[in-house]
Amino acid sequence: MSGKTGSTWRGQLISPIAVIAGLLAWEISARLFIDPFFLPPVSVIFLGAVELYQKDLLFVHIGVSMARILTGWVLGSLIAIPIGLIVGSFLTAKRIVDPFIHFLRFIPAIALVTLFIVWFGVGELSKILLVMYATSFIVLINTATGVGTIHENKKLAAQTFGANAWDIFLLVTIPAAMPSIYVGMRLALASSFLVIVAVEMLAAESGLGYLIWTSKLYFKIDWMFVGIFLLGFLGLVSDYAWKMIGKHVLGRFVRESANY
Amino acid sequence: MTIDLNQVAFSYATTQGSGPLILENIDLTVPEGEFLILLGPSGCGKSTLLRLIAGFDSATRGRVTIDDKPIRGPGKDRGMVFQDLTSALYEWLTVRGNVEFGLRISGVKPEERRSRCDEALQMVNLLAHADKFPDALSGGMKQRVQIARMLAMRPSIMLMDEPFASLDAQTRQMLQNQMVSIWNDVGGTAIYVTHDIREALNLGQRIILMSAGPAAGIKHTYDVPMDYPRNQTDPVYIDLLERISLDIEEEVKKVWV
Repeated sequence: MSGKTGSTWRGQLISPIAVIAGLLAWEISARLFIDPFFLPPVSVIFLGAVELYQKDLLFVHIGVSMARILTGWVLGSLIAIPIGLIVGSFLTAKRIVDPFIHFLRFIPAIALVTLFIVWFGVGELSKILLVMYATSFIVLINTATGVGTIHENKKLAAQTFGANAWDIFLLVTIPAAMPSIYVGMRLALASSFLVIVAVEMLAAESGLGYLIWTSKLYFKIDWMFVGIFLLGFLGLVSDYAWKMIGKHVLGRFVRESANY
Repeated sequence: MTIDLNQVAFSYATTQGSGPLILENIDLTVPEGEFLILLGPSGCGKSTLLRLIAGFDSATRGRVTIDDKPIRGPGKDRGMVFQDLTSALYEWLTVRGNVEFGLRISGVKPEERRSRCDEALQMVNLLAHADKFPDALSGGMKQRVQIARMLAMRPSIMLMDEPFASLDAQTRQMLQNQMVSIWNDVGGTAIYVTHDIREALNLGQRIILMSAGPAAGIKHTYDVPMDYPRNQTDPVYIDLLERISLDIEEEVKKVWV
């Protein structure tokens, strides 16, 4: 869909070349001009990752963080989508839920970390609940907005075909809101990363946030960078995976929402 | 099925009660099988009148009936083609999916659904595009999907709200001819809203000219005693064109001056 350069194999090479050039510039400047304690060269960070792998820690941290993110994200969305569909469809439901939503969504999940630990303990539950909290508001608001912006003609047309309210909800409202739900979940995925790192820094014995936080105790600045780098990388991969699900599984329902 | 409007007035409800009248004193009878045109300057309430017959809105005063039964909401006896090209179609369904949508809701069996869909698509020459999604279609094709979708339901009354207004002149002309032959084939009543006098003369057996709003009413009624396709050089056509043009100009001036 993009311009001429995007469709040729030459165009496809631009992004990888840019990444390699960026990494090279980092490596060289870190070796020549910068104190490696503040910014270690890429190669040193890579060796740090190898070291973590040899200690059987690398995939533990990745696995633990990703499990928390994905569980909280999926469960949060599963709760938020039906509520969003109802809030978007019925004015009374909207009036009841609106004040709560618009109050609570300004309380960041990070502000609730200590409270959730008091309430739900230091285990996985409090962490997953925090990701669910952060996810659900974003998905709920996107879903409700999506439902609210469905054109009246779609419903009127369905009525001329003899559709009742339930038919319309099932066959018009839900599919027409799909692009908004999809985009909401994509935004929520990014904020799930934000939340989990904060929680893991404050109260966890594992995970990428924990890795970044504790690395400073051992002056392992390279491990810190491994953690930071992995967050970016895993975020990118998750986002790409969601984009591919959008394109190939939900294709006709989300259409161009999955293009960027 | 005879449609009757008796002393109909309409205003949108606002929080302070009812708003200003959009329609007033509408008396109209549409006999079964007629191709009727609602013609008028924009903002005259002709689409509102169509919505009352469709059952999307209900009259503030007066009675709207079909065979003496008051209209309570939309129904399968009345199909609708909306003016907007995209908003009424289901963009997640193929052309076939859109056309079969109503049949599916009505519980029509798959084989019959398919044959009725094919038949409807055939009538609008879209059978070859049955598996495309609406966003891959031109404006004229999208309106033909809307028409096919309506035809598949076999409504006794076809309501059309300026369906070709946003299309180019050539496409519009072609679709007008197609619409007349469809109406000839399937029978039934057609009520067609337009602000285009030539379109009105090409399609309608009777033209209802509405006065400018607010509180619009029926100004004059014109019969078009001509066979289809309408010959635009026929003196009868030219005479009607001139008379209606002057008549409508009067209404447009009311709004502008």
